[in-house]
Amino acid sequence: MTTTSTPMRSFAQAASAEEIVVPSRVVQIDGLVALKIIKHCKECMPALVTGQLLGLDIGSILEVTNCFPFPSRGGEEEDEVEADGANYQLEMMRCLREVNVDNNTVGWYQSTYMGSFQTVELIETFLNYQENIKRCVCIIYDPLRSGQGVLALKALKLSDSFMELYRTQVFIGEKLREKNMTWKDIFEEIPVKISNSVLVSALMTELESDAPASQCDFDRLVLSTNPFMEKNLEFLIECMDDLSMEQQKFQYYYRNLSRQQVQQQSWLQKRRAENAARRLSGEELLPEEDPSNPIFKTLPEPSRLDSYLITNQIANYCGQVNGFAGQSLSKMYLMDAFHQD
Amino acid sequence: MESRFWTHQSDTESDDDQSEVDEEEAPIVGDGGTGGAGSKYLTRASLSDSDESDEKQRVVRSAKDKRFEEMAVTTEQMKNQMKINDWVQLQESFDRLNKQLEKVIRVTESDTVPRLYIKGLVMLEDFLAQALANKEAKKKMSSSNAKSLNYMKQKLKKNNKLYEVEIEKFRLNPESEADAEQEDEDDDDLDSGGDFSDEEPVAIAGGYSDSDEEGEEGEEEGEGGWETKKSKKDSMMDKQFKRDPSEISWDMVDKKLKEIIAARGRKGTDRAEQVEQLSYLARVAKTPAQKLEVMVHVVSAQFDVNPSLNTHMPIPVWKKCVQNVLIILDILAQYPNIIMDETSDVEMENETQKGADHDGPIHVWGNVVAFLERIDDELFKSLQCIDPHTKEYVERLRDEPLFMVLAQNVQRYVERLYDMKAAARVALRCVEHVYYKPQEVYEAMRKLAEIQASPDAATAETEAAADGDDDFDEEAKHVKLPADVKGPPSFVVTPEIVPRTPSFPNLSRLLMDQLVGTIYKHGDERTKARAMLCDIYHHAISDEFHTARDLLLMSHLQDSVQHMDISTQILFNRAMAQLGLCAFRASLVTEAHGCLSELYASGRVKELLAQGVAQSRYHEKNPEQEKLERRRQMPFHMHINLELLEAVHLICAMLLEVPNMAANAHDIKRKLISKPFRRLLDINERQTFTGPPENVRDHVMAATHALGKGTWQKAVEVIQGLDVWKLLTKRDFVLEMLKSKIQEEALRTYLFTYSSFYDALSLDQLMTMFELPEAHVHSIVSKMMIAEELHASWDQPTRSIVTHNVEPSRLQALATQFAEKLTVLVESNERAFDARTGGGGLEGMSMGRRNKDGQDYANVASGRRGGDFSGGNRDRQGSYSAYNSGGGRSNYGTGRGGQSRGGRGNAGGSGYYRDQRAGQVGARNNLGYQSTRYQDAYSSVGRTPYQTGPASSTGANRGAQADATGRMVSLTHGGTRPSAHF
Repeated sequence: MTTTSTPMRSFAQAASAEEIVVPSRVVQIDGLVALKIIKHCKECMPALVTGQLLGLDIGSILEVTNCFPFPSRGGEEEDEVEADGANYQLEMMRCLREVNVDNNTVGWYQSTYMGSFQTVELIETFLNYQENIKRCVCIIYDPLRSGQGVLALKALKLSDSFMELYRTQVFIGEKLREKNMTWKDIFEEIPVKISNSVLVSALMTELESDAPASQCDFDRLVLSTNPFMEKNLEFLIECMDDLSMEQQKFQYYYRNLSRQQVQQQSWLQKRRAENAARRLSGEELLPEEDPSNPIFKTLPEPSRLDSYLITNQIANYCGQVNGFAGQSLSKMYLMDAFHQD
Repeated sequence: MESRFWTHQSDTESDDDQSEVDEEEAPIVGDGGTGGAGSKYLTRASLSDSDESDEKQRVVRSAKDKRFEEMAVTTEQMKNQMKINDWVQLQESFDRLNKQLEKVIRVTESDTVPRLYIKGLVMLEDFLAQALANKEAKKKMSSSNAKSLNYMKQKLKKNNKLYEVEIEKFRLNPESEADAEQEDEDDDDLDSGGDFSDEEPVAIAGGYSDSDEEGEEGEEEGEGGWETKKSKKDSMMDKQFKRDPSEISWDMVDKKLKEIIAARGRKGTDRAEQVEQLSYLARVAKTPAQKLEVMVHVVSAQFDVNPSLNTHMPIPVWKKCVQNVLIILDILAQYPNIIMDETSDVEMENETQKGADHDGPIHVWGNVVAFLERIDDELFKSLQCIDPHTKEYVERLRDEPLFMVLAQNVQRYVERLYDMKAAARVALRCVEHVYYKPQEVYEAMRKLAEIQASPDAATAETEAAADGDDDFDEEAKHVKLPADVKGPPSFVVTPEIVPRTPSFPNLSRLLMDQLVGTIYKHGDERTKARAMLCDIYHHAISDEFHTARDLLLMSHLQDSVQHMDISTQILFNRAMAQLGLCAFRASLVTEAHGCLSELYASGRVKELLAQGVAQSRYHEKNPEQEKLERRRQMPFHMHINLELLEAVHLICAMLLEVPNMAANAHDIKRKLISKPFRRLLDINERQTFTGPPENVRDHVMAATHALGKGTWQKAVEVIQGLDVWKLLTKRDFVLEMLKSKIQEEALRTYLFTYSSFYDALSLDQLMTMFELPEAHVHSIVSKMMIAEELHASWDQPTRSIVTHNVEPSRLQALATQFAEKLTVLVESNERAFDARTGGGGLEGMSMGRRNKDGQDYANVASGRRGGDFSGGNRDRQGSYSAYNSGGGRSNYGTGRGGQSRGGRGNAGGSGYYRDQRAGQVGARNNLGYQSTRYQDAYSSVGRTPYQTGPASSTGANRGAQADATGRMVSLTHGGTRPSAHF
């Protein structure tokens, strides 16, 4: 675990900096918070859990100084659970305020499974938060990946252009081209920095053992590759299926569209011929547009959001596979070298 | 006048008359049963207030009579009420009368309004006019009475409008006729009203039965009867009819004809009566042309007798209709200068006046082919409607030769006119009566026709019908004695020129060829398509699978059929079903499955074959749709046995699916051959308790389980225990074939399932296990090796199979799967891209480019797969070569590469099962050739010529067979659509 300590800014400084809206460039997480998140996520492992992030928003740095988990949802009725969750949240905030802890919500955290987090739900939650907190953040923790000796902690936010587009709810090709938006532009990752107070750092140094390597380092050297790769591949296959489905939707749409266009053309031709005849006989011309005619109803273009998300997901998996395979290869070479010795 | 009429009722004179009528009617009552007798009672009941002597006789009455009686009573009441000028009561009675009218009409099922009712109306009308005229009396009326009077005034006005014609007729009649005669009319009217509702042939026979039985004398009497019947129409015409036929001039006939035609289709026209009037006219017609003209109208009128689309024409009428058309043909044959076509101007006057000796062309309006088609439709409809399990149905089927006679004659006629289009249409009608008959049934029909044709036909017929009801007997005689017997002798005598017996060649095939040849030459698109389908069907039932298949494939019907009408699609489905059965009989399992799987894919076989209305669970059909569907149904005798069809389909699916499931044990969902079969299997497996098999499905499922376990003996036993096999003519052969097929598939399944547990398998062991000859086992195993279904090689000296077991790791399997998905995605992406960019005039170019691109991509994908894990589900072998031998390929591996060059992705069974790409066929063909090459490549240890022999020959077989598969499958892909159109 990398431990960096940065000097705390004074509140006054922060207040003065607030006037200029700077995009948050760094998410600074307290060591304690990180540990709490990790603990919560790991304990509930197969289930995916969420929690609230509390902290301060100072200039380009978003400090996360505290967090608390949401109670995990049972199989009860949806409404009830939701109401309970909200109540719990409010109650918790009140309690925290009473004991004078930071109780400014800055976002939420959630655990994920092999990085499969790019969903519509996430986007929606994010927008919900966004309504109240201008610069909120979502921290994603992947307990499985952390088992391999890396800290799989990620801070995400939605890009501004995407949010804007999302509010209009139109994800048709034209709009996307206008905004010059690709699938990469949905999420923005913000670098995470873990900071500890000086005292904690001192304590840590004190506690640190003399051994040259920690458990974490040994985890990194595990040679088993299959389970991880298999899982990734399975997810990839699933994504492919989803993507094909999306594609089919589009094909269907285009087929209908072309059919409709042909119909429109023939209708127009007929109308024109009729008009020509009418003109000859001196009658009033009929309009060339007929909004009541069903063939002129524009077909709704399917949303591209899903395919964007799936693409993101795929990129994510691919990145994971790539990184993992690279590491594994190096490990193999290492082992090979050992064997030769 | 009513009062006069009604006071006369007790007159002795009328009584006498009454008895006279009775006497006259005696024979009718004798064989007519309740129909005639009932009406007799009725007349009495309506005439006498209380007739105690009749009371006893009135015990048995039909519903019809009862209704009439009620009506009579109401009329009587009305009369009384009129006397006391009670309008309130009258109004009630009137309403009641109307209600009763509805009932009567419902009972008699005819549109004609009973005369009794009209009489009532006239009576009322007159009385009303009287009442209205008498202003004094009106003022004196009580308020309620006046109100009722006004009500009646309006009501009656509205009501009477509907029956204007009848009332008019009625008013004309009673004044000129004697009362007694009127009664007689009533009687007749009721009688004729009842004729068609009861559909008792006798009722019709009644009209002229006298003449049949009493000869000369009876004939006169019959004539008299005829006249009185007509007389009520109008007195003018009556006089005409009464005249000696020789006095009747052309003009009179023409005038009367026009009059009758004008009445046609008008409300309240008695259709049956029209027919009779017309047939009378036909007899008195002056010139052949006129007779022809009248006959045409007779036939049209006969078609009109049955107004509904859903019910069929009464059978006696149908028969008479056929005879009439035959007479038309006689006339046409006798006087070749008479030209009958639809273009002739109806208005062209006096065309028919030209006598028999006239030598220029005489034009008459009419269309025999249309008549023929209508007659056929009616025959078809009657077969649809009649319950197939009754004698009636069988009797009806006997009429088929009669139709065939007509069809052949019509065809001869139109061919004489060189109207080949029409000839093709007629030929199609014939074909549709022949195509579904196997040789045996055809033979039976031919014999029947011969019997009917032989001089003692009548007796034979009588004998045949002897055990049936007498009515039919009677009817049969009527058919034999054409219309000429009744009434006056025909003025224009037409000898029976056209043959009255059909001529059938010995073989149904010959007849088919002859008819179908005509159609192919001259028919239009639809006719040709239908004929082709019939032809295919017929080939299929005569076990000529390859001919039938070639016909189907050459005609490309499977591509175009979904644009055709539903009845043709049904025919297509039927042909496909028959083709499947035929393939099965010829032990071509894959083809049979290919043909049948489409039919079963939707689970609506019944509907697709039009052999029953399927109940849909999800949406209710509206009655309109249901009616339509009912109209499409096939008559029972043309049905394809669904149980047999299902058994064949399921067994074919089993034979293909069981080894397939064993081969893809890893992910069972991946390669489905038969979805319905899998579904059944799933359901079956979910059952907690499986009882002994009861229906076809259970049997096949039980066999599937046995086969899966390798106990093929049990599977054979279960399958052979099915009842349906007795429907097959080549039962023993088929059962034997099934046994050997099951043995083969059991061997394959066994190898798929257990080969990975063996290092080596002995050939002899396999031979004893599956009781198959050595050559057979050898060829099966070799085939599996070539198709890379079995990863093994022969070890000749020890006569054993050495297996090379390499299971792909899960990761590898996943990677393969992923690669496959990617390929699919890339391809569809390409297609989508082309849809955007291509199109319009560039279609051709972009198509070319796309194909090339697609190919490239595909090659890249498959190439990569081949290299890394060796694609498809054949990865086992690929991984074997890639992993075990490192960079260098084994002999085996190279061979494989060579094969995959034949066509992309068909390296394994994928092509065999479901071809998605064109060009596959070629690749399949290669198999045969390659198989021998591989054999050599494998057996580095030299092989005895004996062993190469069977392998290569089977290889060649496989090639041919696979070729067929490829086409069959593509054909069935086309076949999907028709079902979707329902």
